[in-house]
Amino acid sequence: MSAPLDKPQVVSHSQKSLNYSLFDSKWIPCSAKFVCLGSSCRGTGLMQIYELQHGGIKLVKETEKTKPIKCGTFGASSLQQRHLATGDFDGNLHVWNLEAPDVPVYSVKAHKEIVNAVDGVGGLGIGDGAPEIVTGSRDGTVKVWDPRQKDTPVANMEPVEGETKRDCWTVAFGHAFNDQDRCVCAGYDNGDIKLFDLRNMSVRWEKNIKNGVCSVEFDRKDIQMNKLVATSLEGKFHVFDMRTEHPTKGFASVSEKAHKSTVWQVRHLPQNRDIFMTAGGAGNLHLWKYEYPAKRSEMDGDGEERGVAGTLNLLQNVTLSTQPISSLDWSPDKQGLCVCSSFDQCVRVLIVTKLNRVRSGWGAAVDGRTAPASLGCEQSLQSETPHQTSDQ
Amino acid sequence: MSLDTISSSPLHTQPASLTTHSVPVEHLDYKYIEKCSDLKYLEKILGVLRSGKEGIYPHLTEFCEKHVEKLDPRSRALRKENFPATSASFSKDEWDQITNELQTWENEIKINDVELNKQLFFCNDVNIPPVRGSNCSIQKVTYSGDKAYSKTRHLPRSYQDWDKFDVEKECAKIDETLTTNESAAIIDDSLLKIQSKIDTTGLTEQEKVVLANREKDKGNEAFRAGDYEEAVTYYTRSVYIMPMTTAYNNRAQAEIKLQRWYDVLSDCERVLQLEPHNTKALLRRATAYKQLENLQMAHDDINAVLRSEPNNMSAQRLLEEISKKINAHIHHKPNKGKKLLIQEVEDDDDDDDDDGDEKDDMPCAGGQSAGENRQAAVRGGMGNAQKKAHSGGARGPTANKYKVKAEGEPAAVANRKNLANGNSTAQPANGRPDSPGEERTESTCASGALPPPLARLKNEGNQLFKNGQFGDALEKYTQAITGFTEAAIDSPEDLCILYSNRAACYLKDGNSSDCIADCSRALELQPFSLKPLLRRAMAYESLERYRKAYVDYKTALQIDSSIQAAHDSVNRITRLLIEQDGAEWRQKLPEIPAVPVSLRQHHTAATSSTHLHKENDTQEAARRAEARFTSLKTEGNELVKKGQYQEAVGKYSECLKLKSDECAIFTNRALCFIKLKRFAEAKQDCNSALNLESSNKKAFYRRALANKGLKDYEACSSDLQEVLRLDTSVQEAQQELDEVTALLKQQRATGSPSQPRRDITITEVEDYDEEGDAVKSSSDGEQKSTSQTINLQPSNAYEFGQALNAARSLNDTAACAQLLRTVPPDSLPQYVSTQLDGHTLSFIMKTLDTHLLASEPGVVYQLLDHLHTTERFSMVLMMLNPDERRQMTQLFEHLCSVDCEDFSQNDIKNLANKYI
Repeated sequence: MSAPLDKPQVVSHSQKSLNYSLFDSKWIPCSAKFVCLGSSCRGTGLMQIYELQHGGIKLVKETEKTKPIKCGTFGASSLQQRHLATGDFDGNLHVWNLEAPDVPVYSVKAHKEIVNAVDGVGGLGIGDGAPEIVTGSRDGTVKVWDPRQKDTPVANMEPVEGETKRDCWTVAFGHAFNDQDRCVCAGYDNGDIKLFDLRNMSVRWEKNIKNGVCSVEFDRKDIQMNKLVATSLEGKFHVFDMRTEHPTKGFASVSEKAHKSTVWQVRHLPQNRDIFMTAGGAGNLHLWKYEYPAKRSEMDGDGEERGVAGTLNLLQNVTLSTQPISSLDWSPDKQGLCVCSSFDQCVRVLIVTKLNRVRSGWGAAVDGRTAPASLGCEQSLQSETPHQTSDQ
Repeated sequence: MSLDTISSSPLHTQPASLTTHSVPVEHLDYKYIEKCSDLKYLEKILGVLRSGKEGIYPHLTEFCEKHVEKLDPRSRALRKENFPATSASFSKDEWDQITNELQTWENEIKINDVELNKQLFFCNDVNIPPVRGSNCSIQKVTYSGDKAYSKTRHLPRSYQDWDKFDVEKECAKIDETLTTNESAAIIDDSLLKIQSKIDTTGLTEQEKVVLANREKDKGNEAFRAGDYEEAVTYYTRSVYIMPMTTAYNNRAQAEIKLQRWYDVLSDCERVLQLEPHNTKALLRRATAYKQLENLQMAHDDINAVLRSEPNNMSAQRLLEEISKKINAHIHHKPNKGKKLLIQEVEDDDDDDDDDGDEKDDMPCAGGQSAGENRQAAVRGGMGNAQKKAHSGGARGPTANKYKVKAEGEPAAVANRKNLANGNSTAQPANGRPDSPGEERTESTCASGALPPPLARLKNEGNQLFKNGQFGDALEKYTQAITGFTEAAIDSPEDLCILYSNRAACYLKDGNSSDCIADCSRALELQPFSLKPLLRRAMAYESLERYRKAYVDYKTALQIDSSIQAAHDSVNRITRLLIEQDGAEWRQKLPEIPAVPVSLRQHHTAATSSTHLHKENDTQEAARRAEARFTSLKTEGNELVKKGQYQEAVGKYSECLKLKSDECAIFTNRALCFIKLKRFAEAKQDCNSALNLESSNKKAFYRRALANKGLKDYEACSSDLQEVLRLDTSVQEAQQELDEVTALLKQQRATGSPSQPRRDITITEVEDYDEEGDAVKSSSDGEQKSTSQTINLQPSNAYEFGQALNAARSLNDTAACAQLLRTVPPDSLPQYVSTQLDGHTLSFIMKTLDTHLLASEPGVVYQLLDHLHTTERFSMVLMMLNPDERRQMTQLFEHLCSVDCEDFSQNDIKNLANKYI
């Protein structure tokens, strides 16, 4: 039977109570620092940079902005620049140079209402092609921006005129495996998930999961669409296998009801796309692993290819707080290191251990080690991961 | 508590009879829980226990949890609220490890961070694609639930966008949609569009490291998802950005899954160049070698792994498999050499399953080179064919190269020993066993036509190649080639060698296409030179262009059929092609060029004349004979299948000239004779077969048929009975027997068996091709048994053979003497011709000795003088046993002692030389 310590453990590294509402937190790539974004009690925006220092976290920089900041991303910035793109309550998209955060390097009034979500691609070496930022807003539109182009978005996904505008809660880039293909996935308050193909400028796929979509994310942005996780308001989340699309049935999916409350966010481990963490409304985190089926696609009766969904394994779960976890971010540089912010005005740095030993299920972590070392790659690949992390 | 009753009753009914939501208190019991296998119910019990409604029992709760876990480790009921682990949750060591690791990372990343900031000024946007056609928008389709019409609209593109409009791509897109419409499902062919190269201009080292690692991670993930092709693509991207051993190593693993063995080899070798003792690379290379049937190399690699990690399970398992294979290999491969060895030394029956002493024979003189050949064949991944060619004695046009062979082989042996003793096998770059032997041949070969600077370049290249620095060697060869062309020297041989050597470098580097180009150039200069052919074949094979590879291997084999590795490859490719193209695969092959006979002969002559070791020489000849024998035999078999018996007889006869102890040839020829209705000859062959193998049922059966054809039903019947005694399941024999018994009865009823009717027989069988018809048409006529009578006045070979056989079977030397007297000595060879075998010969000798010598020494001399001109005489002579030889010697001694005017002592001596 599995000894509890052979599972990945979520270790609380450090935590800090803050005096403002935190909406988002992001690691600064290639550093031991992260940014916290939020709203001060005076109704202004706050941007704080913290740094890991000797087992604790220390505030290194703080900037106040006029509007509360809802979300941010480094995804469209080069590793050299590391500019942070943020969306605020007023519908503005700003790009900041964190070394000189007083004046934005790019600024646009992107939406009429609050920018709920922002995502970037084409920077940090993630995804070939142009650096682009996508914003999703309460005004119902999803817009794609290129920081080199002023004032106008490079793509605009909006509802047909005269139609009710749905609140867009989440956006995510994906399918950016060459410099032409790119997709944006957006989730709305009515449970709609829409996949926009930016290459063909068309809606590629639509799905309704019945409850408001709080967070969507591709397992990786810079590969051919592989998996998409969408979390929902009532505590369920869905994993779609995006490799095989059936003409009528669409993508195969598996769903899991884990949190007894809203699943606020899903974030894939940057070092292993099949492991992801969901953050719940009851202040808990669940660490999952997606197990592929033996065959990812099969022929249905009509001779059409149909995807086969895999299974989900709960690797670990922890409860951090009584308040919802509003954001979670894995460090792109150190496997297992993550930061999360919650509505109890607390920012936490966590370490998830033994991620490189995760194989299938709980017991398997043990099996894998006691089983004779097969020539199979699984093991050999895994064991190389620590090596690679220390290289960075 | 009445546990027994409860547990024996069906578990579901009990709770169901109560309210579904409650659990009876009795069920909150260790024994009940232990016996309960209803997961849902157990989860309910667990719920009750956890709620504490019935009291708090921590141990029972834990017990229940464990039981649930046993039934379903993934049960949701087991999900408990956990709290983040703290230092208290870990042992001190673990905690220290976690914190230290983080601390180290923290320090490193901070340094990186600072460096990154410093480089800020160098950033550029060189390789960033242009801004997307501005302000495109998708009018989103309706939200679900809303009933309004839905529509996807492409807004007009901007002018800017039109500039970028690629007509071809759009057309392709239309095609794509057409095809997807047909198959309806969206086929992801987009993998092809992942570029394997990445523009890294303007990236800092740091960024490259990050990028390379990310691509590698992507590869790992794709690998785990089973998308090996994709994984290889990402690993390729990773190493393109920055070569890392892990990425190469992992790519090797993915290539193993894709069974691209040569790619595996080259990747592992790259890893091993950087990290000579990387066990994973060694293991993977061993796997590849194993698959490529390069067992010795695989063995060496695994031993290297086991030396550093004696407990490596996978290595042990692989070693086991390989050892097994090697053993099987030993039992198969050298059989050819062994067979010949036996023949020459002992004149023994060849025996396919004398495996036991195989190994013991290896070290002895004759066997050694066979063993060495095998090892040579087994060794040397990409180069094994060359190596084999080398030890097999097949060379390029310059004959003086052959001298090297003598040195090459001991070197290989020494090398082999080194490997076996096992120091530093793990360094492929230095210790690559296949290169030194091979390259020495080329380096020492006279570079007569080359001006000194070019010769030097070439030798440097050879040296570098030997050291495994293929890239550098490549450069040297390229320089030499350029110099060569610039100097406009007219020496195609040398240029050919240069190209061929450079091709070898390309091959080692895994650059198959350039290798092919070079080989082709070399072949233009020197058509049908062996090495470039083999290298090109290998390159084609690694590019999976099997047809071309097949053609090249076949051509090479025409030049020298003894290249075992080429044979192996041909077999492998044949299998692949059959899989790929089905039964008609041969039709899809390009034409195989015919190698001019002069070239082949040149080879043969060259090899045999320049061999230094005598046993090599004999072995070579023997092997050639063996090859010729097999090919004749198969040709014969083919002809039989086609029904061309006459031609088949010719082939088999030639076979027998080469080797007269193969039972199958006799039986096969007998079959042909039967089909040709030449029963006497058939019978003769069956007799020969039975002499070799006294219980060959085919021989018996065919002799029965022959006897039947000869109307010797009794003999036929006894033969058939013999067949049935050996194998009762032969139905044909049973049928024949029935038929023959009937005939026999008929015969006995109609004719008197003792009455000699030889005159009729003689006339009857004058043209014995018609005899069969005669038998059928007039079966009740003049048949009689000739078995007991001897026709002492034969008028043709058939009758003579009959008579001789009869005499011999009766051991009637007097009759034989009579027979021999009647035969004109000069026609004796024709008469005995095909029927001559060891026993007949010795019988004749005996007759001559006992009956004729005393009275008519002249006739004896005449007979002997002619007898040795018989067709298969020398062959028969070889088959004589010592007794028979002694008899022969005696005959000549006696002959010597007789004085006769017909011949002198010298004549006898000369004649004796031909016999003894």
